[in-house]
Amino acid sequence: MTSIPFHRLLRVETRKLFDTRSAKIMILVLAGLTVAAIVARGVVAGPRPRMLAGTAGVGFGTLLPALGILAVTGEWGHRTALTTFALEPRRHRVLAAKCLPPLLTAVAASLFALLVTVPVTMIVARVEDVPVDGGFGPLAVLGWTATNVLLVAMGLAIGMLLLNAPLSIVLYLSTPALGTFVGRLGGTGELLVRWFDLNTTVGPLAKGDLSGADAARLAASITFWIVAPMTAGFARGIRREVT
Amino acid sequence: MIEFSHVSKTYRGVRALDDVSFAVGPGCVTGFLGPNGAGKSTALRILTGLARATSGSATVFGRAYAELANPGARVGTLLDAGALHPGRTGRETLTLGAMMIGLPRTRVGEVLDLVGLTGREADRVVGGYSLGMRQRLCVGHALLGRPEVLVLDEPVNGLDPQGIHWMRVLLRGLADSGCSVLLSSHLLHEIEQVADRLVMIGRGRILAQGTVAELSRGRSLEETFLDLTANADRSVS
Repeated sequence: MTSIPFHRLLRVETRKLFDTRSAKIMILVLAGLTVAAIVARGVVAGPRPRMLAGTAGVGFGTLLPALGILAVTGEWGHRTALTTFALEPRRHRVLAAKCLPPLLTAVAASLFALLVTVPVTMIVARVEDVPVDGGFGPLAVLGWTATNVLLVAMGLAIGMLLLNAPLSIVLYLSTPALGTFVGRLGGTGELLVRWFDLNTTVGPLAKGDLSGADAARLAASITFWIVAPMTAGFARGIRREVT
Repeated sequence: MIEFSHVSKTYRGVRALDDVSFAVGPGCVTGFLGPNGAGKSTALRILTGLARATSGSATVFGRAYAELANPGARVGTLLDAGALHPGRTGRETLTLGAMMIGLPRTRVGEVLDLVGLTGREADRVVGGYSLGMRQRLCVGHALLGRPEVLVLDEPVNGLDPQGIHWMRVLLRGLADSGCSVLLSSHLLHEIEQVADRLVMIGRGRILAQGTVAELSRGRSLEETFLDLTANADRSVS
């Protein structure tokens, strides 16, 4: 008998991301907020695509990671892990299949925001009769999309490590405040924030002008907030006894 | 088909299972009977690879469950009727299982008919289900892959008399077609009605096993059971 192919696990886990009532509501809220935020910002701020897409990014930075956290913690909370891991005991495959859909959703959401931003920018430019503000080239678009993906990855990593939805969401959402707090703890605090606060180190990436030093700092904070917790979380999810 | 061989399990210094050995053959319904906390669920979770034995081994088809390539296609499991996502419909719950095992979607409708859930019930979210409906849905989930082996943890818990009758007819039919069924319960009267053989467990140890007639030995099965579990408690305390 052949084992379950990975694409099948991926299809199942993608479906699970959107087939519950709460997930459907979250997606609708997110889509509505994205359109509303971009239009409103366009009317107020004028045809500045980077700023408009960035507005949508604020919602993405909170709701999409929360969606990812729910995806990786939900089975433990509702104890459906019993069923899922009984159907596929090679748990690392299930866990990998759980992480990919939220990351792809971040890419799709970024594309959606761009698709809304472009016409809104054009219309605002036409109506207000002002030129479109440049500075949102392909590199900036790419960096901004990568930022959205990284923030979701951070949510996933925290969720995988803690295996508890409310705790993970609270921790994820309090990281900016945590960064601010640590940043005020003198020289050491500032140094820590400069190197390990992902919300700070993604800044240059999101703007699309990442220098070598920026990249090193980004890599350090990715290791701290994504690679390390994700690795520990994988080990925990694979070893943990399901009760 | 199922074999427990000297399985012991220690949880934080407490011996949850102590040298558990028994086998379940094909074409028979085996009742795994014991009071709450006797170690039934722990044993079934070790069997299905969800928990690890401290020593000993549990196998299905002579292999560790976790080594089966697509276990859902050969072994049906109901490990906890409460382990359902409340925001999913019954149909969606079964669809996910069918997708994972690699079954055609038509199997979902067949299983719904088999466990007696109507189309309207199947399209409601599980959060609004009664305990009986959850049990039926979970039994249906276990039956998706037309398994040769069924492992059911407390499947009659919460069923009304009609539900228990339905379960008896269903399991009898499955066993007669060659399926081996292992079901646990703490309710003697309910399990007595569905099982051919019984394995009695108390405080993590096998107290007795055999057919219902062998175990009662002229007395009521209830007396035997109470005697055995009382002795198990005494020997520990």
